[in-house]
Amino acid sequence: MNTLPSDRLRFLAAYAVLLAGLLVPVQSLAQVDTNEQVSQMIQPKMVKIFGAGGLRNLHSYSTGFLVSPEGHIVTVWSHVLDRDQVTVILANGRKETAAVLGAEPQLDLAVLKIVREGLQLPYFDLEETTSAVPGTRILAFSNMFKVATGDEPVSILHGVIAAKTKLTARRGAYEVPYDGPVYIIDAITNNPGAGGGLVTTTDGQLLAMIGKELRNNESNTWINYAMPMSELTPVIRQIMSGDYVSQQTKNDNEDNPLSYQPLDFGILMVPDVVFRTPAYIEVVEDGSIAAELNLRPGDLVLFVNDNLVQSCREFREQLGNLEAGDDLSLIVRRDDALITVETLVPNKPDTN
Amino acid sequence: MSFMNSLNISCARLGLALLLTLASSTLRIEAQESPSLTELEEQAFKQAVAFAEPSIVRIQTVGGLDRVGQILTSTGPTSGLVVSEDGYIISSAFNFISKPASVLVELADGRRFPAIEVATDRSRMLTLLKIEAENLKPAIPVPKDELAVGQWAIAAGRTYSAQVPNVSIGIVSALNRIWGKAIQTDAKVSPVNYGGPLLNIEGKVMGVLVPLSASATTETAGVEWYDSGIGFAIPLEDVYAILDRLKEGEDLHPGLMGVTFRRNDLTEGELEIDMVRPDSPAYRAGMRRGDILLSVDEMPLSRVGHLRYALGTHYAGETIPATFRKGEEVIETTMTLVETLIPYESGFLGILPTREPIDAPRTGVTVRYVYTESAADQAGLKKDDRIVEFQGEPVKEYADLWTLISRERPENEVSVTFERGNLKETVKLTLTTTTEEIPVELLDEFIPPPEEGDVDKDLPTGFVTVPMEAHNHEYWAYIPNDYNPSYQYGLVVWIHPGGDTMEASIAQDWQQLCERRGLIMIGPKAAKIGAWNLNEAEFIKDAVLDIKSRYRIDDRRIAIHGYGSGGAFAAHLAFKYRDTFRAAAIAGAPIPSRPPENDPEYRLQLLFSCGDEDPEFEKVDASVKILKRLKFPVVFQVLKGRGHTYPTPARLEEISIWLDSLDRL
Repeated sequence: MNTLPSDRLRFLAAYAVLLAGLLVPVQSLAQVDTNEQVSQMIQPKMVKIFGAGGLRNLHSYSTGFLVSPEGHIVTVWSHVLDRDQVTVILANGRKETAAVLGAEPQLDLAVLKIVREGLQLPYFDLEETTSAVPGTRILAFSNMFKVATGDEPVSILHGVIAAKTKLTARRGAYEVPYDGPVYIIDAITNNPGAGGGLVTTTDGQLLAMIGKELRNNESNTWINYAMPMSELTPVIRQIMSGDYVSQQTKNDNEDNPLSYQPLDFGILMVPDVVFRTPAYIEVVEDGSIAAELNLRPGDLVLFVNDNLVQSCREFREQLGNLEAGDDLSLIVRRDDALITVETLVPNKPDTN
Repeated sequence: MSFMNSLNISCARLGLALLLTLASSTLRIEAQESPSLTELEEQAFKQAVAFAEPSIVRIQTVGGLDRVGQILTSTGPTSGLVVSEDGYIISSAFNFISKPASVLVELADGRRFPAIEVATDRSRMLTLLKIEAENLKPAIPVPKDELAVGQWAIAAGRTYSAQVPNVSIGIVSALNRIWGKAIQTDAKVSPVNYGGPLLNIEGKVMGVLVPLSASATTETAGVEWYDSGIGFAIPLEDVYAILDRLKEGEDLHPGLMGVTFRRNDLTEGELEIDMVRPDSPAYRAGMRRGDILLSVDEMPLSRVGHLRYALGTHYAGETIPATFRKGEEVIETTMTLVETLIPYESGFLGILPTREPIDAPRTGVTVRYVYTESAADQAGLKKDDRIVEFQGEPVKEYADLWTLISRERPENEVSVTFERGNLKETVKLTLTTTTEEIPVELLDEFIPPPEEGDVDKDLPTGFVTVPMEAHNHEYWAYIPNDYNPSYQYGLVVWIHPGGDTMEASIAQDWQQLCERRGLIMIGPKAAKIGAWNLNEAEFIKDAVLDIKSRYRIDDRRIAIHGYGSGGAFAAHLAFKYRDTFRAAAIAGAPIPSRPPENDPEYRLQLLFSCGDEDPEFEKVDASVKILKRLKFPVVFQVLKGRGHTYPTPARLEEISIWLDSLDRL
């Protein structure tokens, strides 16, 4: 689909040059629209990164892209960077040494700087990024499987934006720290070494950075995701200017004795016997909030404040997140009807 | 290339619309020359999804199993497609394999409804849901005759976001896949869009996305192909065609006819019937072994693969025409397909026959032994009675009785006429299933030494080594010292484990057993003692033929016996050469692969012997269960408190009795 007869292509290219010369000084980005032209524009700014790893199943290579003429490189934060300096191969095959300038593990983002000074390299302008919606065609540039070496260009995949969503993924058994929006793409970018690669629109505008190899927590499938540039750019800028402080703060209130329990609302759940025991109410205490709300034994709790609860465990987690004075809305299934009840979260009885 | 045409037309239409809007933005003049095909296509993708979007629903499940087989079931939302205004939703059966306690459907407009599972199609792997909602927008199907390979195909689901469907773009890769059931696409199909639609460029629905596999039929089959460029969708027209049946709450199942073929090659050869399952649609239609199946459902069949297509789209309960050739005659018939077939199992009378000399008069089958509490025992048959009729048919020799009983299944009532001295009596009895009991009190049957004139000087007895020049191999054999060519002997083929022929210990263990039980034993040797090569199967078979050509062997008592890796190879050979081996005694090893169907013509009996502390024990136990389910007669000898060892002499005695009772009826 993407290939036009080459004669016509040449004609178009010539025509575009002619237009650009004759008419107005138009933005160069707006007029390139063949994959080959986009590739020619992108490839000089991509780099191949070689660092730690190589043992067991840990690959020792990844991808990055230049964002300054002096040699700032954006890539994914991974074990590959787990040494003082890493080797970077520029598009022209030149080998350079780079060090980590700064990283934001929350975003799986790292910025490297080539050690040598006084460089004048081709680079991406962080001003010229864009965003996309599902169905938008994309190109993905990465050195997956280390297939390109030396001055060979990195690999290009094509596809579309499949979705823009929040990440509920796990790497092995671990949750990812990042909970912002990501693009899901229908090209298979979930490959060794692809992390830190670049996703662009078909006219070459920066969209996102290819993420790590991850499994989707909900569907148990490997996912192909990329971090939107809009999430990364402010942090990249801060790291480059040297005034970035990592925000490694997460308020974890699990096991907090002050968290709310079902009993605080007068609800006793069915015994939680299997991993996914549905959240059925077994007993509603007389005179309790639950009784006031007319909840009944046998009701199946499905949503807490619009969050689906698939088990007793998740129901407890959701209640645990509440604070006194919060709005609480429950949707329960009673026979074949969905019933919504709403209340305010009271003060914990023992914290009065 | 019709798709190019239709593409051009839709592009042209779009292009026109775009041009109108672009006319004002004068800078993009190149759009006039070529309204960037890429851009126009992208617009078309987005519009197609927007067009179909109101029919795509999000499904959430609560509770259920967290694991099905090897697959961790998903907890995330899945997708479905509206197929009626009054709340019927079709989805992929895969989305419900966790058997959730509750199912919720969220419509495109955000409204949520509890759903009930109405019915499941086990052939096309679809599940129909019902919600109490009105005025929904059913998906619009693409007529099947408008589907063409190469057309754009857009896979959509409502998994990642409730508001905006997730999409993947590809083309139609093939039609009529999975035996005629599915459209194939290279768009990325996975749990994030199973149950969602495969759209054409206009936003109409080509099919419903499901995981499928050409070779397996389990509920998770095909999931391993997710996101691989091989995805499947059931044509929506076909879904609408079965909707009324599903609405009635009827689960649909693949339709089976109950035959296997002489050649299992899908790609060539006429369809010569090998086995017909008892009471199956094929059996009722009169098909039998050796008949040639010519057509099914008006589709002429010239290879087995064709039949998969002819049956693939049919469900159990449907009646379809068939023609087959029996000898010279071509027979036209109909079959009503069924959901499950009855595994073949022969009835059991409960006797062992006396082994007569080869030239004995053929006057019936003399009873050597009656199994306790068998049908024969209940009817009062005794040792030395002579069975002369079965179901009114004359019985002159063992082969007659064997054939007659093979036609009967357990629970069948039959009549048996026998002679006892001068008395002749007919009794009615009900056949049972074959016993697993080893008749430990079974006495040796004495084979008299040969008369002086019968001894063949060219036939050595005792231990011999036989070279097989054609194979560059040799085998050893043990022939009982008093070998009498007037009688038939059982044959035991010993398959040694890798690395050790065990020749001396086997010879010592088995010499006396062979003498007493009328057995000849042979021991083929692997070219490399370290391990058997699969190619050596031919050599082993030829060794059997070789010994048979010299000594009198009873075809019904040829057994293969192995231990450890030799046991696994022995099981492989027993299944491979069904026409040669009637029994397999496997020590310390499970079966290496899925066994074939039980076969009425070539009955195979199995004995497993394994220490309950053998690391292989669980696998052996599983093998026994699989074989029993397939109705193979299986004996399981558990060696209490023992690890991976060859059976002790006492247990070998049992095995020899089992070998001596292989001709039980």
